[in-house]
Parts: sequence; structure tokens; C-alpha cells
Amino acid sequence: MRNLSFLLVLLLALSNVSWASGMKKKKPLPYEFGSVTINNYSQQAGMAPVVFDHWVHRQYYTCRLCHVDIGFGMTADSTKIRAVDNMRGYFCGVCHNGKMNERKQRVFEACEREYTREEYNGRCVRCHALGRSPAKEEEFARFAAKMPKETFGNGINWEKAEDEGLIRPIDHLPGISGGKAKFKITQDFSLKAKVEGMPDIIFSHKKHTVWNGCEICHPDIFLGIKKGSTKYSMIELFEGRYCGVCHDKVAFPQTDCHRCHSKPVGEQ
Amino acid sequence: MRKTAFLPTILLSLSLTIFLALSAGGAEKEWRTTFDETCGQSNEAMAFSVDELTTLIEKCDRLQKVIEAEDETVRKVYLKRLQLCKNLYVFVLETKKMEQSPK
Repeated sequence: MRNLSFLLVLLLALSNVSWASGMKKKKPLPYEFGSVTINNYSQQAGMAPVVFDHWVHRQYYTCRLCHVDIGFGMTADSTKIRAVDNMRGYFCGVCHNGKMNERKQRVFEACEREYTREEYNGRCVRCHALGRSPAKEEEFARFAAKMPKETFGNGINWEKAEDEGLIRPIDHLPGISGGKAKFKITQDFSLKAKVEGMPDIIFSHKKHTVWNGCEICHPDIFLGIKKGSTKYSMIELFEGRYCGVCHDKVAFPQTDCHRCHSKPVGEQ
Repeated sequence: MRKTAFLPTILLSLSLTIFLALSAGGAEKEWRTTFDETCGQSNEAMAFSVDELTTLIEKCDRLQKVIEAEDETVRKVYLKRLQLCKNLYVFVLETKKMEQSPK
């Protein structure tokens, strides 16, 4: 009963958040979950905007590698990537340079100053793909079929996929990543749920630091190191702050309550 | 006479060009090494003392000036990376100072 009332409060809060933001968000399809449209300069250059799929990349690389070592921002269009940056071997061009091999496959080259019609159709549209890629859904379905299932988000349990060795995200690129010291893993800790009857949250520093490093979250997203020093509510999370910076957009959505509220009731 | 003076001039200008190119490359390599040494320690930020963190932040400030003189792409990438690690060090330093100050 308590859980039911919490769920009702949660749904009410969610509807308020979407009403306050002035728009009704369309729930993304599994293959669209975590897709980011980048359109700083594409249309000016006569190209379709870039569609970046997180699912394609996260099977190979940690979040930290791209968002710390390569320098991609955490919100769409914040990085202001230009084709020339890629051509010089930065941003997408770190890997998409036509030379790098990944799992015995050559990573296709990103941008070129001049290109033929064939190159445009075979290469440019792989990224400049807004409204152009009907095969993506099939490609995602083929990939997802091999992965452990999850109810929400894009339907893949990425954590389990890594545990089972189905994906092995790389965290270091020679010439890009500096010599990082090994993490001293901080213990997982629990956070008290604010609603009575709701299981407490178990936050895994281990998972988050291995994938993200420290500087993605501190101090930009979480201003506290000490447990409880940053106060936030589910409403703020659903507004895309704190955990909501990643969870809902790329990482599993917050509607998957039990993934965080996972501490057995009564356990100390 | 002319021929004999011409050859050393060519050699001198060639070696000067090579020296300048190498020293420019060397300078770039130098700041990249300092950058990697400075920001490569962010995983251990919590373990550093106040003095160590202060030194790292000073290094970040010095690096910022060097990177600001680089071309647009390098500036965009490395200033962002530098900001991430400097913010972390500043944040940990402030937290440590707060913990040390009498309540």
C-alpha cells in the first residue's frame, strides 16, 4: 500500500515536471534511447545533423574515456565539434581516423575536406544521419539480442553485460589518456529513502568511478564528497539534475526504481 | 669565393629551421607531459594533502596560460580537460580545508 502511494506521488511529480517544462516528452524507442543530435555546424555546411548513439560506443569504451580524456561535454551541442577538429585527430577523429583498429575492424574515418558522392553516401551519412538511417533499428535489434535484458531504457542491462564479459569497455587510449593512477575504490554506501517503506538506495562508487572517473561528477554534478552533503529530491532528479544528468538520458532511467532502491528492507 | 660562402649559409639556415621546429615540438611535448602528470593524478585527489593539492592547482593555472596560446582545436580540448581536473582539485582542497578548520 505504501509502495503504491509512493508510486502515485512519483507519477504525479513526473506529470508536474513535464507540465512545468511545457512539453510532453515522447518516450524513446529502445534503439533511440541515449541518442544525441548534434547540430552546431552541420546544417550550415549543408549536411544533416549528426546522430550520436551511445549504445554503439558504450559497448567498447567507458564514459570516462570520451567525457574526460577526449573532452566531450555532457550535454548535446556543448562541445561545438567542427569537422576540422575531427580531421586534426580530436573528438570523433581520435578514433575515427581511418587508421585505428577496434576488435579487428578498421574504424571508419570521420570527416574530410572534400568528398565524392560515393563517399558521402557511404561514410558521411553514417554520422550525419538525422532522419536517414532506417537500418539502425535492425542493427540495434541484432546487437541487443545478445545482451542481458532490462525492462527500461534501451532494454539492455549494461552492468550485467560487462559482468558476463559480453562487453569490455576500454578506458585508455595511447597518446590521449595520460598515465592514470589506479583507483582506490571507495566503499558502496546507502542513502536513506525519503519515503517510508521504500527501500534505501545503495550507491556503488565502484561502478561509477570505474566508468566515469571522479571529475565527471565532482564538483559539477555533485558538490559534496561527504555522504548527505548534497541535498536533492526525486523531483530534481527527474528534472535532469544530479543522478538525472545521466540516468534517463543515457544510463538506465529513474523509473527503474529497484536498480537504485535496492537495499533489502530491515538490513543494517 | 661566392660558392664557398653560399654553402655554409644554406647549412646554417637549414640547421636553424630544424632547431626551431624541434624546439617548438619540444615545447608542445613539454606541456603535454606536464598536463598528463598533473591531470593524470585526479583518481587520487582524495589522498592528497592540502599542500599537494595547492601545488597541483598552481600547475593547472600555469598550464592554462600555455594552452591558451595554442590553436583553437587544442584550446577547446585541453582547456576543457584542464578545467575538469582543476575543478576537482579545487573542490577537494576546499573540502579538506573545511574539515580542518575548527567548528
